[in-house]
Amino acid sequence: MSFKRFDQTKPFITLGIIVLAWLLLPVAVKSFLRVTFFELQAPVQVTASYVRNLQDFWADRTHSKDELIEAARELRHVYAGYEFQAQQTEAQQAEIARLEQLLRLPSNPNFRFEQARVCRRDLSGWWQQLTIRKGSNYDLPVGAPVVYSGGVVGRVREVRAYEADVDLVSSPRLRLAANFENDTHPVSYQGGINPPLAPARGLVEFVPPDIVIYSSAPRRLVTSGLGEFPPGLTIGYVARLETSTDGLFQSGEVSLDPRLTELTEVTVLVPQQPD
Amino acid sequence: MSIIETYRPQHTRLLLFQALIAAMLLVLAGGLAYRQIIQYGNYGERERLQNQRRVLVPGPRGNIYDRDNRLLVGNRSRFAVTLFLDELRREFRREYIEVVRHYRESETSGDITRSDRPSPAQFEQIARAQVVQRYLDQINRLLSRDEKVDMRELNRHFQQQLLLPYILLDDLKPEEFARLIEQLPVQSPLQVYTSSTRYYPNGSTAAHVLGYVRTTDEVSGDDMSGEDLKTFAFKGTAGRDGLELQYDPLLQGETGSAIYRVDPAGFRVNPPLEKHAPHQGERLDITLDLDLQVAAEKAIDQFETLKGAAVALDVRTGEVLVLASKPDYDLNEFSPRLSTAAAQKIHETGAWTDLAIAGVYPPGSTFKLITAIAGLRSGLITPDGFTADCEGTMRIGNRTFYCDKSPGGYQRHGIIAFREAIAQSCDIYFYTVGIKIGPEAMAAEARRFHLDQPTGIDLPYEVRRMLIPDPAWKKRVRDEAWFAGDTANMAIGQGDVGVTPMDMACFVASLARGETTTRPTLLHDPHRARQHTEPIGLTPAQFAAIVDGMEGCTINGTAKIFATPTYGIPGLRIAGKTGTAQTTRDGNKINIAWFVCFAPVENPQIAIAVAIEGDTPGESFAGGHYAAPVAQAVLKAWFEKSQHPAASPGSAAAN
Repeated sequence: MSFKRFDQTKPFITLGIIVLAWLLLPVAVKSFLRVTFFELQAPVQVTASYVRNLQDFWADRTHSKDELIEAARELRHVYAGYEFQAQQTEAQQAEIARLEQLLRLPSNPNFRFEQARVCRRDLSGWWQQLTIRKGSNYDLPVGAPVVYSGGVVGRVREVRAYEADVDLVSSPRLRLAANFENDTHPVSYQGGINPPLAPARGLVEFVPPDIVIYSSAPRRLVTSGLGEFPPGLTIGYVARLETSTDGLFQSGEVSLDPRLTELTEVTVLVPQQPD
Repeated sequence: MSIIETYRPQHTRLLLFQALIAAMLLVLAGGLAYRQIIQYGNYGERERLQNQRRVLVPGPRGNIYDRDNRLLVGNRSRFAVTLFLDELRREFRREYIEVVRHYRESETSGDITRSDRPSPAQFEQIARAQVVQRYLDQINRLLSRDEKVDMRELNRHFQQQLLLPYILLDDLKPEEFARLIEQLPVQSPLQVYTSSTRYYPNGSTAAHVLGYVRTTDEVSGDDMSGEDLKTFAFKGTAGRDGLELQYDPLLQGETGSAIYRVDPAGFRVNPPLEKHAPHQGERLDITLDLDLQVAAEKAIDQFETLKGAAVALDVRTGEVLVLASKPDYDLNEFSPRLSTAAAQKIHETGAWTDLAIAGVYPPGSTFKLITAIAGLRSGLITPDGFTADCEGTMRIGNRTFYCDKSPGGYQRHGIIAFREAIAQSCDIYFYTVGIKIGPEAMAAEARRFHLDQPTGIDLPYEVRRMLIPDPAWKKRVRDEAWFAGDTANMAIGQGDVGVTPMDMACFVASLARGETTTRPTLLHDPHRARQHTEPIGLTPAQFAAIVDGMEGCTINGTAKIFATPTYGIPGLRIAGKTGTAQTTRDGNKINIAWFVCFAPVENPQIAIAVAIEGDTPGESFAGGHYAAPVAQAVLKAWFEKSQHPAASPGSAAAN
């Protein structure tokens, strides 16, 4: 009878021993186990991502030739526009380089652009992050800015061998120095507490009282260039500001681009040393 | 048979023992009940006082605006990077162990002796400083600085203000603030802290009126909850001069508070149990007109080293449009605190004194208006029937008095009548009038215009030593007799007569309205009613004669500068009176140039008084040349605004 009772408590004792062993394990071992877990998990996620790409590929194949021709035609227009802009940019960069040389100015730090596919999105109430399919194998550093065509995506938080986690601009763990378009006052932007499936929002703080925003004409909030992000990248739009009770600053909600939740490809700006 | 079955509770001795135990238990239970039920409130209160702390955050002060809603005093944000020491408890402990270990090793190796070993308290201080320096180094790296921890300040903060964040770097530039915002982790014990400090967008403009503030440890939290708790307060500000002092209770912000639970070591346990946000103080709309004030100050500044004051009033309401005093100081130097060097410079230049309300000068010939009014009211002179023969000198008693004596000689006006005497400021005429009516009549008239009293303007430190002398005063104070020469001196605003520029501005405003009293104020009210006080007591003809004489002064009299193309204001009729007075400073005679006026003559709206001190002993220093241009600058600015009201900035800086 007593043997049977002891036999029933075995799982609890085992659990207790495991918990105790985990608590007693050295920090280095725990850290190693954690990293190993994520590194082993990475191929699964990357494979799943490739499978999704394949799925998309076969889905695209279901389109008719007419549809594809039409899409290619539209793409040609867009491509022509971009080609023209690229030429302009090239000419401007050459002019900037000439002026820098003429005035003996140090060259602005440049970025290496690293395009990466999104292999996982975690947009829960607690986490607002993406996992991208590139990591230290592409020399991505922690803290590198991540952008897309609509502006800021976020910042690289953790880099592993083949993938990296990116804190989204909607995450409360991400804080940026920003300013309003056509204004130089630095303000603080921080991601908000965003429930799942709701439009993502952030919070702008320390806005000087002389900045006025009308709800009929929301103002664009952009990066200030005072941190890791280059200046002028769109963070979001602010439609209303409220003055704090002490009258020193205003604060308001920032509406973020809904495309952030559907990103499939992003660009990591890897800072390079000045020339 | 089991053991329980053999137990016999009926044993008498056992029963006695049980009763004893029960009684003791009852006593214990009673004691417990006493403490847990009856003394519960008392212990709860003691626990609360021991475990809770209150933090007070002063609210920012209210803004001050001019009459056109332009910001004169506001608050600018002040960024600091702070360290929450309560989040570093573990680090302090680890560092302490490390520091002690290091010292022991040094002792073992013979690098230091046992006597060199710090005390446990010193070990704690060293450990704390090292941890805080590590965080400061993070900031140094981000901002390319090389700051070091002030160990004394850190220890003082730790012992006295542990609940408040420790300020590592203060007054950061906006760019530095932005860099830290982006690069400091959100959950770091290092945080950017914002507070407010006074901001004066116009620098030294109206410095004496606006006043300044100083930091204070006294932050009011009397009406807030947790009054009995141990309280930590951020530094607040208190008005020390000018309107900042006068309206301090209004401008003071509403203090915010937070009540925290603390652990036995005194460290804060987040989140706060109770929190109230601070609120900004009330806004203050004052009567000054920034355009006019700037015009007056620029005009005085053109004399570079000269001291002086200018006051302009709204004739109808008594609202102060200009109150300028030079030399002055840049109010931004007081924010956040005045340096010793800056304070020394202000002291040396004498800029602390607001000459408009604290500079007592003999009014010189501007006082002739009082003599004239007294003469007319006495009935002994009439505007058209009384003349004097000005030969340039006049023998009074055993002294010879001159008419406008200057290094170039003296004036001979010949037969001169009332209006011309005011316009040309003929001393002989007013000596004659003064002697005719007597000193008591002149003194009574001056007192009727309250020239012997402070005006009661809503500013601190207005002097009370203005003086209208008479024979009784001279006997009482100096035990001397009053002579005819004293009367002559008094008639032209010399001798012991002493008034402030504000007194004279009020007098001219009253004169312009045909009354005797003007109560000046700095609180703007767009609906303020016209002041109605005791009438001046002159017939319309008498009043018109005085105004005619004053207007003649600006056309062809001592202030004919207004008739020149440079200083003329076409379309504006001005009634004015110049004055030149002598006073003694450090044994040298210094001249004071005066000019008082009101305009437009047909419908008086603005009254001005200007006094400029000479800096060269004996220098000819006429009111028409030094003081009138200052009044002209104010009048010109006022006239342009009144002609083109739409051009005024209005509510451009509305908050």
